[in-house]
Amino acid sequence: MALLGAALTSAACYACGALLIDRLKVKLRRPERWPLAFVLGAACLHLAVFAILTLHIAYWPVLVALLLGVIGAAVKTGSWRLSGEPSEPLPGTLQLLCVVAFGLFTILYFFHALAPENSPDGSSYHLAFVAQALRARGFERITTNMYAALSAGIEMLFVPAFAIGKHSAGALVHFAFLVALALAMFAYGRRLGKPWTGAVAAFLVYASPVVGVAGSSAYVDAGTAAVVFCVLFWLEIWDEHRNDKMLIPIGLLIGFSFAAKYTAVVIALYAVGFVVWRARSLRPIIALSAWASLMALPWLLKNWIIFQNPVAPFANQIFRNPYFHISEIDGWAAYLRTYDLPTFSTLPLEVTVRGARTQGLIGPVFLALPIALLSLRFRAGRRVLVAGLIMLAPYIANIGTRFLIPALPFFGFALALAPGDAPGLLMTLMLFHAATSWPSGMQHYAAPGAWRLDRVLFKEALRIVPEDRYLREATPAYGLAKMIDQYVPKGERVLSLTDVFQAYETRPVLVDYEAAFNNLLADILNTGWVASYQPRVLEQYRFAERGVRRLRLEQRSLARPQEQWSVHELRLFHQDTEVPRLPEWRLAASPNPWDVQLAFDNSPATRWRTWDRATPGDYLQLDLGHEQPVDEIRVERSYDYIGLQIEVKTFDEASGRWVKIADQAKVSEVRPDPNIRRYATRELEARGVRYVLVPDSFPGAFDFRADPEGWGLALVAVDFGARLYRVVD
Amino acid sequence: MILRSLPLIGAMFLCACQNMPETYAPPVQRKPLENFRPYRASRLINMADGDTDSRIVRDISHHADGTWRWTGQRPAVRLPEGSNKDARYVIDFTVPGATFSQTGPVTLSFYVNDHLLDRIQYTSPGPRHFEKAVPAEWLQDGKEAIVGAEIDKMYVAKDDDVRLGFILSAIGFKQE
Repeated sequence: MALLGAALTSAACYACGALLIDRLKVKLRRPERWPLAFVLGAACLHLAVFAILTLHIAYWPVLVALLLGVIGAAVKTGSWRLSGEPSEPLPGTLQLLCVVAFGLFTILYFFHALAPENSPDGSSYHLAFVAQALRARGFERITTNMYAALSAGIEMLFVPAFAIGKHSAGALVHFAFLVALALAMFAYGRRLGKPWTGAVAAFLVYASPVVGVAGSSAYVDAGTAAVVFCVLFWLEIWDEHRNDKMLIPIGLLIGFSFAAKYTAVVIALYAVGFVVWRARSLRPIIALSAWASLMALPWLLKNWIIFQNPVAPFANQIFRNPYFHISEIDGWAAYLRTYDLPTFSTLPLEVTVRGARTQGLIGPVFLALPIALLSLRFRAGRRVLVAGLIMLAPYIANIGTRFLIPALPFFGFALALAPGDAPGLLMTLMLFHAATSWPSGMQHYAAPGAWRLDRVLFKEALRIVPEDRYLREATPAYGLAKMIDQYVPKGERVLSLTDVFQAYETRPVLVDYEAAFNNLLADILNTGWVASYQPRVLEQYRFAERGVRRLRLEQRSLARPQEQWSVHELRLFHQDTEVPRLPEWRLAASPNPWDVQLAFDNSPATRWRTWDRATPGDYLQLDLGHEQPVDEIRVERSYDYIGLQIEVKTFDEASGRWVKIADQAKVSEVRPDPNIRRYATRELEARGVRYVLVPDSFPGAFDFRADPEGWGLALVAVDFGARLYRVVD
Repeated sequence: MILRSLPLIGAMFLCACQNMPETYAPPVQRKPLENFRPYRASRLINMADGDTDSRIVRDISHHADGTWRWTGQRPAVRLPEGSNKDARYVIDFTVPGATFSQTGPVTLSFYVNDHLLDRIQYTSPGPRHFEKAVPAEWLQDGKEAIVGAEIDKMYVAKDDDVRLGFILSAIGFKQE
């Protein structure tokens, strides 16, 4: 069924693209028709699936009808035929080399894609959202997972495939994109009259270890690379014919590049620059923008509606929203910029040869990339290098090896172009790359733990090794998913302090780092055992008794990077008696106004935090509704920040200004309630979360398992290096 | 056309910035917990735990799958931070019959932060449990602690000279 799902989806992509190409009356050469039609059709089909999910009619008959309908239309109109002007025949040596080299790697990749899907991101979220959407028959409003905010153009094509053939079908569809990319690169070389260059360039990318493992998993990187390379290809064809109808596929693919991966949209810079330069006119920009918008706007609008942020989970400083914390997204982004590499000088070797820290390797052949500069002597070389540099620009935001993939086709092409017409040299390059990229070859140099394929998965793909057994042995994330499904009742949410293969389970799992709500739950839980998070500091601001209606606690200094301001409780006193909190009080805060109630809930386990670097002007504010005599403010807080300068202010109605009434506090140490752990789990329960998954590797795991009862937890299951707890009623 | 549409696009984007909430009323006030048993600190390292490897200081085999591990002569583990009050040293171990037949009676010494807590001779093989209160002054409040044991006689395998101490299941502190 996996093969059927992927085959039908891939065929529908080709059919859809072929229909559009024929409708536009674009003449393509035969070798380029399949890849260009496939990628263009994928763009169009993704929009149709998006519409189906939006309308909540994602029943499998609807999806199958869509696929068959498109295929049927192509067959009926004759577009299905692989028509077009034939290219010059390939030299015999090249044919033989291609059959052997591409054939071997295709076997490796095909069986990996067909085997049970167990890629980290594929099974954690790419396919998890697909599975969830299919269960719900459409898009669900997921605000507890930042990955749900990313555009998911390629995943839209996993939807019909998954509906028919489950997880492996998604991986096979992505593999089809990888094949399309290789064929497109090969065809591009043939269009330039350089079949050797095209073949070797395609092989450099196709056999690259990280491309292989990502391209045969339910990822989106190879798909994205195929889309952006096809933009360049279509631009060349447009340049040759100057047929403005060709701006339609170019525009659609620019938009689809955004839909596939946010950062890939930079290909628009190349496309717009190229078209304006060659046409000596700005007019084509309108057509390009319009067609690109068709593909990109649905994703922007979806995020705008759900997250109040069209480019969520990024740019939360501009599009403030309660779903993503600035500090957490910044912290995540900061990690992606370094991957904890001690120095960037090791990065070239890391991404080409070792592959452990940056999660994969592109292969040692790419150490020869400086030679690609020789391709500047060719027009095609200059173009692919410019496009490659543009595609490389977003890499600084994420230096994972996988994030080189969208730029790799351009650099691969430039590298293959550099020697010129030298089949011997190119063949040597190809053979070297084949030897060093084959699993047994990589064993000799790649770092242990590098993300790569290590063998052909015949038995697993053919299910001779049962899927469940293979996955349980392959990764604990799968076992944890199954454990959750087994022990957690339907509909119950689980706070997980580790990643879980959510594509294989059906309960809502809230991974601690993935969204603001999850961050809050984790913060509450951590307050139970991390002393520096607990309310152990009492600040007392005393001032002459006065009638107060509006009062503000304002932070006046710039904190160190990553340092936040937080308040567990803010209490008002009059003559040593707490002023009771009344329903007519109105509370406000900046930043993070959505959590202001946490500073007024009387719970030691919760606190209002800025969730951003503390800056001058941050405040907590309350309006008492009427004047109330007050002579003291007490602030209960943690000691995980120091040196912030706090002022107490009241609003002076006469002058319309906030006036400082105190800035010196008597600070004392207090012991938190001995039941603070239980307060923490009570807060989780109050938020509808009754299950917690704690990996043994979590720093606080020891504290939980030492006395679950003292936490108000009951141990439900232990396996796969983690413990599942339930909050006791 | 593009220039004309810029203000519209800008206005659309600015709309997105206007999503800050109004104010909130105080939430339901949480009541103090009553009749709830306070947390009992326990710093016990079970050999089956997934993070045990990171706690080993010396002489305990790494990467074991089961609930026990072989020790060398002076096994020790690093316990996480905790209170120095009311700590009881706890160790669950086995003197295996296979090693006992070669070593005969063995004496185990039990240590906390290099202080000798007790020394006991075991004259027969089998599972054992030892537990004893730890003087508070041996521990630093809120700090890690090193606990361990020492066996006086090691088993030496005849075939490959592998030296084995005893079988360890759990070691650490219990604290009420």
